Amino acid sequence: MENKIVIYSFSPTAMQIAKTLQQKNYHIVVVDTEKENLFKAQKLGFETIQMSLMEDENIHSLKLSDKNIKAFFCLSDNKNTNLFIILSVRNIVKTIPIISISFYNEDNKALILAGANKIINPYEIGALRIFRLLHKPYILDVLDNILFSESNIEIAEITLSENSQFNGTYLKEFHLLEKYNIIPLGIQDKEINDNFIFYSHGINHKLDSGDTLVLLGKSTDLKSIKSLLNDYKK
Amino acid sequence: MLVKLAYTLESSKTYYKTKHFFYEVLEDENSLKRKYFDLFMIFLVLSTVAILIYEVNNPILTWLDTYEMIAIVIFIIEWLGRFWVNSHSRRHIIVDYEKSQLLGYPYNIKTSLKKIFKDKWSFIISPMSIIDLLAILPYYRPLRILRILMLFRLFKILRYTNSIKQFRYVFIEKKFEFLTLGIMFIMAITFGSTIIYIYEGAGVNPNISSFFDAIYWSVITISTVGFGDISPVTIQGRVATLFLVIGGMGVIAFFTSIVTTSLHDKMPLIKEEKVIGESNSYKEFTIICGFGRMGQVLAEQLYNAKQKFIVIDPKINSIEHQYKKNFLTINGDATNTNLLEKIGINKGAKNIIALTDNDAVNLSIILTARALNSSINIISRANDLATKKKLYLAGANNIVLSNEITALVATEYIGQPVAFEAIDDILLSTEGAVMDEIEVLEDYKIINQKLNSINFANYNLTLLGIIDAKNRKNFIFNPKKDQYVVQPRDILIVIGYKDSIINLRIDLLSKGFFQNGEL
Repeated sequence: MENKIVIYSFSPTAMQIAKTLQQKNYHIVVVDTEKENLFKAQKLGFETIQMSLMEDENIHSLKLSDKNIKAFFCLSDNKNTNLFIILSVRNIVKTIPIISISFYNEDNKALILAGANKIINPYEIGALRIFRLLHKPYILDVLDNILFSESNIEIAEITLSENSQFNGTYLKEFHLLEKYNIIPLGIQDKEINDNFIFYSHGINHKLDSGDTLVLLGKSTDLKSIKSLLNDYKK
Repeated sequence: MLVKLAYTLESSKTYYKTKHFFYEVLEDENSLKRKYFDLFMIFLVLSTVAILIYEVNNPILTWLDTYEMIAIVIFIIEWLGRFWVNSHSRRHIIVDYEKSQLLGYPYNIKTSLKKIFKDKWSFIISPMSIIDLLAILPYYRPLRILRILMLFRLFKILRYTNSIKQFRYVFIEKKFEFLTLGIMFIMAITFGSTIIYIYEGAGVNPNISSFFDAIYWSVITISTVGFGDISPVTIQGRVATLFLVIGGMGVIAFFTSIVTTSLHDKMPLIKEEKVIGESNSYKEFTIICGFGRMGQVLAEQLYNAKQKFIVIDPKINSIEHQYKKNFLTINGDATNTNLLEKIGINKGAKNIIALTDNDAVNLSIILTARALNSSINIISRANDLATKKKLYLAGANNIVLSNEITALVATEYIGQPVAFEAIDDILLSTEGAVMDEIEVLEDYKIINQKLNSINFANYNLTLLGIIDAKNRKNFIFNPKKDQYVVQPRDILIVIGYKDSIINLRIDLLSKGFFQNGEL
């Protein structure tokens, strides 16, 4: 089944996001009230629905709780519309990741409170990027290569399954670096809290099921470690 | 003979250097030397005036006299120095001589001397030069009567302080208003003093015995000071007083309003000049054009990283008012060639960032900046994907399209939220783990040693990879530590806590590293 993404309000930012997601093989559904916006979206090959999400029945009709819908983007330029829709959607579907934009950091708190998982501030991201271009250009280059381009070095997150044979072992016993040519960045431990623990902190962490490892390495190496980590207990 | 001398001077390096030194000390507004010299001169002026005040009621001390003599000598040298650097006499001779050679008529030294004399004379009779001379004069004892001229030394201070200079411009600029005011004032005084003199001068009022008394009375009255030593005794005199007092209030109100409004008008200019002066003293700084949301975030980041920057925006005053941050800002148009040059695009500016929400304006900023400085690093914001190419074509080094990055970030977030947050954390946080680049400097002890001589685990650092010294595009991921030999100018990319990174940097400089990995 195809992975779907639902985007509400087809602003220029939304258009760019939709295009990028399309390249990653997501099926895009655009919801908007304006005919003109929907026409643009259709031209780009996206599925379109003309309706407002201010009414709960309309949200229900999107069937956001379906397994193959991976995220809901609420990208209206109006902060109040975003707040209202995020709150309504969160009320109906508990699990779906909701991503929204804001132009002022002061608004982030309210949006998170309404139920959004991630707020993106386009201006801030742009400015920070320029700052890094000035301040640490090489790091930016390396990160761009890892994150946004089709280089062979990737970042991957692997969540340990319940049956993994490595439950209860210590991270340092793996010698990921020496044996597998993989750099561990850190771990998110469900038991402690959702905080991310960096590997360079120096703590030898005990692995449990549900922990998420964040690893950096060549895609082939990452694939093999992924299958190894989730091997069943013998 | 003079022609020969002029040519010798023109080609002499020492002559040029000495003259340039004097110029820097005396006239160059951006020179640090001049700042110190000005402070020294202010001190000298104030101290000689203090001596003058002291000598009124105390016996003259010899050492004070010597001190004053030294000060006078310095004043004279200063004046002669200004006299010298004010114009280039030898150039006149050379230019005239070469012109005559070219046109084939005999060279006449007199025309050149006339020009030189004209230059120097216009310097001598300039107001500042006259103040200088008047300040020197009273030292000549037979002219002690002119001691009051010593106070002219205080005016010398005008020379050494920029802000007072601005104040002077206010008066020059508002000439017309002050002239009107002066005429009004003189008319009122003439009327007042004539009336009082006619009615009370002829023995009616014992306090008014001459026309000067009448003038004195009307000035004291019109200024609303009113000592009361002379007061009118006749009805006519009192009526005149009433009118004078009312007129006086008008004059004072007019005067105050002229000064305040013109100072108010001048304030942005004074501030701008101060900002430009400061930016010119920076060795390395960034120019931010446009102070919208992006400009504000960038400025904040640079400020936190203690980097020098200057912001240009045509609406800076209203924005700044909301933002309430004390950054170096200029209210102006960043596409203005003169403004960019004044700020120092050819001097200390290393980066220029075009951040307006109009791509046409950004393009214009890029072109202007590139025309002025071919090596400056230009980064621009693009608001539309279609203009990205054009901005590169105009000469930008980097283009940032916020929608594009937003899209990439959003996509990355959907795929791998935990990994994304981790990277986000590394990039955004000021405390906690950071990603940093360590460039291998020429004097690091690690050069030509294998990478495993640094034990990264001991520092709690993770080495991600190395950027090759020769090819900056070549990122070597997780290099083999027992094989890779560190070269100067390699860049190590590490993740870890700030203190750990600082520790490693210190050790790289001070400690020797050995092959077995021990420190």
